[in-house]
Amino acid sequence: MLCLGIESTAHTFGASVVEDDERIITNVNSTYRPPAGMGIHPRKASEHHAGIADSIMEKAILSPDGGQLDPDVIAYSAGPGLGPCLRIGATVARAISSFLKKPLVPVHHGVAHLDIAMSLGQVHDPLAVLVSGGHTSILVHMGKRWRVYGETQDITLGNILDMFAREAKLPAPGGLSIENLAKKGSRLLRLPYTVKGNDVAYSGLLTAAISQLNHRAAVEDVCFSLQEIAFSMLSEAVERSLVQTRRKEVLLAGGVAANTHLKEMIRSVAEDHGASFYSIPLQYSGDCGAQIAFSGSLAFAHDMKVSNENSHVIPRWRMDEVDVPWIPRD
Amino acid sequence: MDTARLTLETFYRGAEADLFRSNVDPWKAVLKRRVRKGYRHESLDDSIRRERTLSEATLLHEAKAAGARVPSVIGIEVETNTIVMTQIDGVVARDCLDAMSPNDSMELFRSLGAQIGLIHTAGIVHGDLTTSNVIVTASGTPFIVDFGMARRSNNPEDRGVDLHLLQRSISTSHRRDVPPLLKALARGYRETAGEKVFQSSWAKAREIARRGRYFAIR
Ligand SMILES: Nc1ncnc2c1ncn2[C@@H]1O[C@H](COP(=O)(O)OP(=O)(O)O)[C@@H](O)[C@H]1O
Ligand SMILES: [Mg+2]
Repeated sequence: MLCLGIESTAHTFGASVVEDDERIITNVNSTYRPPAGMGIHPRKASEHHAGIADSIMEKAILSPDGGQLDPDVIAYSAGPGLGPCLRIGATVARAISSFLKKPLVPVHHGVAHLDIAMSLGQVHDPLAVLVSGGHTSILVHMGKRWRVYGETQDITLGNILDMFAREAKLPAPGGLSIENLAKKGSRLLRLPYTVKGNDVAYSGLLTAAISQLNHRAAVEDVCFSLQEIAFSMLSEAVERSLVQTRRKEVLLAGGVAANTHLKEMIRSVAEDHGASFYSIPLQYSGDCGAQIAFSGSLAFAHDMKVSNENSHVIPRWRMDEVDVPWIPRD
Repeated sequence: MDTARLTLETFYRGAEADLFRSNVDPWKAVLKRRVRKGYRHESLDDSIRRERTLSEATLLHEAKAAGARVPSVIGIEVETNTIVMTQIDGVVARDCLDAMSPNDSMELFRSLGAQIGLIHTAGIVHGDLTTSNVIVTASGTPFIVDFGMARRSNNPEDRGVDLHLLQRSISTSHRRDVPPLLKALARGYRETAGEKVFQSSWAKAREIARRGRYFAIR
């Protein structure tokens, strides 16, 4: 069974065809980059998506052996995300679905980050750590759904890195610039460390890091300290969650999972408690069509399709509002 | 306090600490030693362990003074970040809740609610209130342990976080219907905390649950 997945929640428009939830055949993505020093503007991003959609779709259904792929299912990211961006993906998906007369499956973007990671890593029933621009959550599956055990109370880990990078005028992608500068820093500056129960809060840390920068601390040291504090907070929350929920696997997914230092810290927490650790490979950590295609395959296998008229987008959609009966995996 | 000559029997590896049993005449004692975390920068790790050890001992003491059922502090050893406290004989709620009858579990939560109410009205929030941090004795009496994240606070928001976390620990770790347990918890809490504190704490807990994160616009 071939599933075509379309990602369009924020800055990335992407499409991918996968076979079941096992093999990635194509995966084509294009990311909108706002002008230096600016945040993502929903309408500008959606204009980028609208402009690029046709060529992305064309490449995504081009079979590696030259012919055209013929998907059995069309999956699209229904949310959460930026309304104008979501609508582009959904519109494209509806058009293809009615043209090919193939069923339409809505996918939750966050669930999809975990699905692709679980498929690629053959993970069964993990404590999941989802770190991206849209999410910073610690989750376990219970009953039919992901349950949030810990999360950020204000901005996400992706946000704090991006916003700091913008403030420090570092080149995009901000997270990577920070990671590289941090390797050259060594002095741990005093910055607020806020863990409440299993939740973290990052906005105080962001303000303090920016103020260090304005008081002429070396940018390398600020990056180093920002990472140490932000990642330690999350690691601690993960450690508490692991002990309470007693999972035997820890899964790290989402765009910030590209950060090597974070990966090593979470791995160390997992190993300290005898749990195995798997992190999404770098090339699939960021938003991409393949995550939607994987999740769509699994959802379709559970008959979770929608009619064209009911194919809405849901800009605000919590992880724990989605049924995911395919977990635990066998 | 000098723990070097005590015979230690390891019995638990917590999120933050290693736990040992020992005899500290005339008590059966538990030693909680905050060990180095490999993932954390050394100076950050040292200060976190030191601060939490001292504040845990202080707040255990204050909670006890407020009449709550918590271990008694026997001593601390600052050099090794160790708290020595009385041992509570029992099983953590994390391990016994699922096997309890509906009636017993409701009674446990009523009684637990009363304990939390006492702690909150003494101006203390626990900060890590989960079923792993409640020890249930053979007679079904709950003791609250692990004040490492506890703080002094009279802010309803902080009390709401306690209640919210307890609720999340049930829904993520136990195959149990949460609402009846929360109802029992509320009944006990109201008994000791009084109407005003009860109303403000529960309103905040509900607000926190609703607040949850959706999506951040960058
Ligand atoms: N005073 C005590 N008596 C008996 N058991 C205890 C006592 N204190 C802690 N424990 C046990 O040790 C476990 C870990 O202790 P805790 O203080 O919660 O450490 P951590 O901060 O690592 O979670 C508890 O869940 C409980 O099972
Ligand atoms: Mg504990």
